[in-house]
Amino acid sequence: MKILRGTPVTALVLLVLVGAVSFLAAREFLAMRVPDVVVPAPGYETHLLSEWEPSLKGTPADTPVYIQAGSEPGGTVLVMGGTHPNEPSSSLTAVLFLERARVNRGRLVVIPFANIMGFSHNDPQEASPQRLHFTLADGSVRTFKYGSRATNPIHAWPAPDVYIHPQSGQELSGKEKSNLNRAHPGTPDGDLTSRLAYGLRQLIVKEKIDLAFDLHEASPEYPVVNAMVAHERSMELAAMVVMELEGAGIPMRLEPSPKNLRGLTHREWGDFTETMPILLETANPSQGRLRGRTDEDLVLTGRDKCYTKAAALGRLFVPYDGSQSIELRVARHTATVKTFLDMLGLFDEAKEVDVEGIPTYEELLGQGYGAFLTPLPLKDASPGSQG
Amino acid sequence: MTPIYRGIVALVLFLMLRCMFREKDFWKQVTGALVLIPLVLRLLLLK
Amino acid sequence: MDWFWPEGFYTLVMVGVFVLGAFALKLPIAVAMSLAAVSGAVVAGDGIPLRHLVEGTFGYLDTILIIASAMIFMKTVERIGLLEAVAARMIRRFRSFPLLLSLGILLLIMVPGMITGSSTAAVLTTGALVAPVLIRLGVPVLKTAAAIAMGAIYGMIAPPINLPAMIIGGGIDMPYVGFALPLLLCTLPLAVVTALLLVYPDLRRFKGDEVALEEQLREMERTPLTPRLFLPILVLVVLLGGETFLPGVWPALGMPLDFLLAALSAFLTGRRWNLLETATSAVEDTLPVMGILMGVGMFIQVMTLIGVRGFVVVSALALPAWLLYVGIATSLPLFGAVSAFGAASVLGVPFVLALLGKNEIIVASALSLIAGLGDLMPPTALAGIFAAQVVGEENYFRVLKHCVIPAVLTAAWGIAIILGASFVAGVLY
Repeated sequence: MKILRGTPVTALVLLVLVGAVSFLAAREFLAMRVPDVVVPAPGYETHLLSEWEPSLKGTPADTPVYIQAGSEPGGTVLVMGGTHPNEPSSSLTAVLFLERARVNRGRLVVIPFANIMGFSHNDPQEASPQRLHFTLADGSVRTFKYGSRATNPIHAWPAPDVYIHPQSGQELSGKEKSNLNRAHPGTPDGDLTSRLAYGLRQLIVKEKIDLAFDLHEASPEYPVVNAMVAHERSMELAAMVVMELEGAGIPMRLEPSPKNLRGLTHREWGDFTETMPILLETANPSQGRLRGRTDEDLVLTGRDKCYTKAAALGRLFVPYDGSQSIELRVARHTATVKTFLDMLGLFDEAKEVDVEGIPTYEELLGQGYGAFLTPLPLKDASPGSQG
Repeated sequence: MTPIYRGIVALVLFLMLRCMFREKDFWKQVTGALVLIPLVLRLLLLK
Repeated sequence: MDWFWPEGFYTLVMVGVFVLGAFALKLPIAVAMSLAAVSGAVVAGDGIPLRHLVEGTFGYLDTILIIASAMIFMKTVERIGLLEAVAARMIRRFRSFPLLLSLGILLLIMVPGMITGSSTAAVLTTGALVAPVLIRLGVPVLKTAAAIAMGAIYGMIAPPINLPAMIIGGGIDMPYVGFALPLLLCTLPLAVVTALLLVYPDLRRFKGDEVALEEQLREMERTPLTPRLFLPILVLVVLLGGETFLPGVWPALGMPLDFLLAALSAFLTGRRWNLLETATSAVEDTLPVMGILMGVGMFIQVMTLIGVRGFVVVSALALPAWLLYVGIATSLPLFGAVSAFGAASVLGVPFVLALLGKNEIIVASALSLIAGLGDLMPPTALAGIFAAQVVGEENYFRVLKHCVIPAVLTAAWGIAIILGASFVAGVLY
């Protein structure tokens, strides 16, 4: 191309263009800051995590905590989703427990959006969709955000070159500093992600949580998938649950929490609190490195030709028959958590927790996720329902 | 540290603008414009 | 055909538009990359996905700041006369020991890369420092640049900081522990070979005109090399070194701030130079590279969006076992065209998973070495572009030609280490 002359005028024209592009893109980025609306079932009290760790008050890390106590005393169970906001079955499962649960005995604590600072943006170069849409039984539509594995960089910038886990000195790539599941057990004076982890630890200690779930998803090519990772203290109960699940036709790998990989819930919650931590993984093709076209359909159906080929090549750690739907992934999490709740009383009678109203594995697969969501009250009817 | 890094972004952005207005080659100006977009958005903490 | 359609077609469109724009229309590479990204999205039915295009550029925002600030630092030490003064001193001291000088210079080039994990940092600091030495002592300009580029890449891969290895490790939940020896094994032999190949022969043969050389040296020593003049380099060494060797104690300022503070300390050397003009010319010189990174960011985001990324990755994994190693040796550096870090993440992680069962630390180290070659691959070719710039060569492809032999040796060495991973692990641990 001939050398076109550049002048201050062309520079000015380009600047106007830069302004316009930045404005339009910024509108889409800012749309991610609008929080998802949830409808807690009757009986839930709404709190913020800063009630357990005051330094979080007024910060973007202060995430909602919902607590429902049954009429009978029993144990206390935490169901936490959204540690990694790009692993949607985790927060969607927690939302299901939030919107459906009726607690008869014991207490249920639900945190649907654990790292709420990861729900406000998407990772560069991952081409993630911004929102997932679910059609409810009454025909209305509800949306949930698909976020990033990491805390939004506007709250944690710049990332260091190397992240050093404060308690162990373990070195990881610098971007892991914004990864909530490398920040546990957290510090009261660290950055927001570390303080968030510290707040979660305070909640577990002060609320005397007996059993704590951290829900996740992993890429299908990753060895720990369709799996449960248990701390030594949780191992006996976990083994009982895995046998029960196998009997129900839900195969589940059981992995012991590695002692030398630090900063993860299944290690640090076990070592720094009295709780029994359990981390669950389902297989999510939309976060995998082998995936093809990346869009909402991939997140919801898990249908992907690249994964189909990779499965034929024997590269995956899950049975993959061409799809891995969000219903299947939420159903696996839900059935596993529910089985734990059912067995907790057998394990220790005083800690029994009795929860009703949670759809079964088959119901979720048959009717879909949207069928079990509560329609929004009119004033909340989703404003930004376009993707 | 974030305010300092916003300052560094502002500095680079200013230098980039200076280059763009002195540049005689239109396509190099376009290249500069491409770099400006993320700088502007991060400076304002919009992304 | 099912596998090829439509992603294979999209790949051809994106690559085709890039080649057309960059080579036929002679557009800047940054613009050609952006056009290729937009074409891919349009052909795949996504229109012009503004959010995706802009979001993609953010993958390199931190890299841009490092590049700009490193170049400001380099221009500053050049303007205050430090570069030439140091070069003159090195020539006087070491010119009668060509072997020692060759090996020492390569190690010197590596050091900033070792402590920052960035090849750009290496090229623009000690690379710029040694370039005039080598050139004055008879090493051809292009070979000098090639040696600097290769040394910078080995520095980026050598311990203690190796970001591609950390990225690969992060993808399989492997902590960055126990990598020091394997990474030294990956890099040091290659650095020695490169020194002997590119630098030593010309240094040994050098029989320059003594009078002319002396005159040049005098000219270079216009600015006396006082300890005070050394301040910017000293500040940089302290800042970068403190962060690496006193982790947790030393404040994590980050490379951009380290470089800028070191550049500012030049005010205390007593030399006069124009800060604003120096900084502006630094940004002007780095503008094409920063633009390329923006184009590449858009390109990858669209590749991911329309399925081309998965198509490329799974095609590489689909290679038969004996071809897998050829695939590693070629696809990792090729994908490095978009950046060595991108290659480590997108391809390095699947490859280490495909090689599970061998010692993962050794395999990840070797893969990071091969991924490092990505910094030689056009259009980004960070190491090649900046190495060409420090020797004043306009066309960086001419530099890359001299990197071919060491690069092939590097890939072969990486593959050999993977093949012999169990043996290597037995010897090292």
